[in-house]
Amino acid sequence: MKLKQWLLPILMTIFVVVLVAAFYSASWFGEQYTLRAEPFDPFDPFYGEYVMLQYPDLNAAGSTYEGDVYFTLTEGPDGFAVIDEISYDPFFGAISGYSYGNRLTAPQLEQFYVEQGLGPQLESAVDLQVTIDVAPWGIIRPVSIAEREE
Amino acid sequence: MEFERKLAQWRDEGFIDQTAVDRIKAFEKGQPQKKKIPLLLLIGLIFFALAVFSFIAANWQAIPELLKVALVLGLMWLFYVIAYFSEKKHFGQPILFRLLGLAMFGASILVTAQTFHFSLSNSVLPWAIFIAALAHYFQWRHLAYVLVIFVFGIFTLTSFLPNTNWVEWGIFVAISFAWFHFSKDDAPKILSWMLLFFSGLLMWDLVSYSSPFWPIWTLFALVLLLFLVPTGKQKLLSPLYLIFGAVMLIVYLALRGETEMSLVDLNWPESIALAAAGLGVLFLAYSRFRDIIWISILGAMGFLLFDDTAIALALVAEVSALAYLIIAQRQNRPLAPGFIYFILVQFVIYVIYAWERLDMSLFFLIGALLLFALSAAAWWLNRKREGAAS
Repeated sequence: MKLKQWLLPILMTIFVVVLVAAFYSASWFGEQYTLRAEPFDPFDPFYGEYVMLQYPDLNAAGSTYEGDVYFTLTEGPDGFAVIDEISYDPFFGAISGYSYGNRLTAPQLEQFYVEQGLGPQLESAVDLQVTIDVAPWGIIRPVSIAEREE
Repeated sequence: MEFERKLAQWRDEGFIDQTAVDRIKAFEKGQPQKKKIPLLLLIGLIFFALAVFSFIAANWQAIPELLKVALVLGLMWLFYVIAYFSEKKHFGQPILFRLLGLAMFGASILVTAQTFHFSLSNSVLPWAIFIAALAHYFQWRHLAYVLVIFVFGIFTLTSFLPNTNWVEWGIFVAISFAWFHFSKDDAPKILSWMLLFFSGLLMWDLVSYSSPFWPIWTLFALVLLLFLVPTGKQKLLSPLYLIFGAVMLIVYLALRGETEMSLVDLNWPESIALAAAGLGVLFLAYSRFRDIIWISILGAMGFLLFDDTAIALALVAEVSALAYLIIAQRQNRPLAPGFIYFILVQFVIYVIYAWERLDMSLFFLIGALLLFALSAAAWWLNRKREGAAS
């Protein structure tokens, strides 16, 4: 059996494993934060049900910024995450995100895929919380979504 | 069996004799028998697969994150293993199983993205499949991969929008160029040429200066590719230059005739530069690649667009179409592409200049259609009579 035959599937598997590991590494090496979140406009005909999210605490801090921004999180006095550092220039450990129209978010924070049928319930609850793991180098792994406990 | 009954019938009619019948029967006996899978087994397998899939789908949310990804990756491996044995033992179509494997690779990225709530509005997925399909092509050299590469190449390009960056764009162009350069078959040459052309259009997103002429610049730049290919492939590629050039001329004509062209930055320095480049292409085409000499007309586009009535542009389109047809006729080349271009030019001119006088122009259109129908009928009758005479 020639190795050449299997090279491509092996490389493709490694690619997916690296992709998965990149997300898991956020949990292994990173810190966990809980964000205040609110849903808006959920719609996706293809990937299944998900909730589009926005984050009031992030929005408040990022409202003066517009375009691509880099930020880190820290735990606020009430246990929910707030922005620690924010800048237009990339720095190590920063989450790469963007701010537009008073809304600050990052690609992996924008949507949360949920179990079929759970979307409307979360949407009507409005006050949500999202738990995420953030790796020291800025990769995010969203862990869970729930109604907010305050 | 059916063919034995037929043979007996032919023998009884006297078409063939008994020795021929015996020889045909002996030959057919020597042929390998086709192995058939029983129909019931096939139906059973389909239902079984459906049952497995619906079981997985019903329990999707309950399946642990890693297992979901592993499941799809497992399917991918299954298809590659089947493909391997299908090639070795000569059953089924290995290409089909490899394509399914490739599709499962795409699915595994989709599932990973969903599992980790990762947005797919970026270029990760198209890039991954584009590269994987390219690797498949260079290993197995099948036309199907060429099509997959092209489709996902286009996906990759569109996924760059609206924030194309030079690094990603440069890598894409380099890869497409490498594909163009290192593939020897016709289909990959043509499709990689098209990918290179379409990446040129991304200039509108890459640089803040919005030139009206990026497609022409790209086409002129691609002329340099002809230096790298052998003469046989030049013949293959030159129609592409003509077709893309012709489409461009028609699109420019339509845009100039129907819009204010306010989105682009039309200016004299660029128009002069384009004309100079057009002259360069004219010289190059005249000395080396005579077939594509027509595209140097596009060099005049910079000046033609300043005329907002589009009459000059319409004239150029019309005259070039006619000239092409006449020359093709004299050189005994196929006339169909020239005719299609000519008709398209007429349509665009018709829409630009006759839209406001639609009632009157409709009268002429119906007249023309009637004339067409009559001449077609006459031609058909004539042919029928000639056929009867011979």
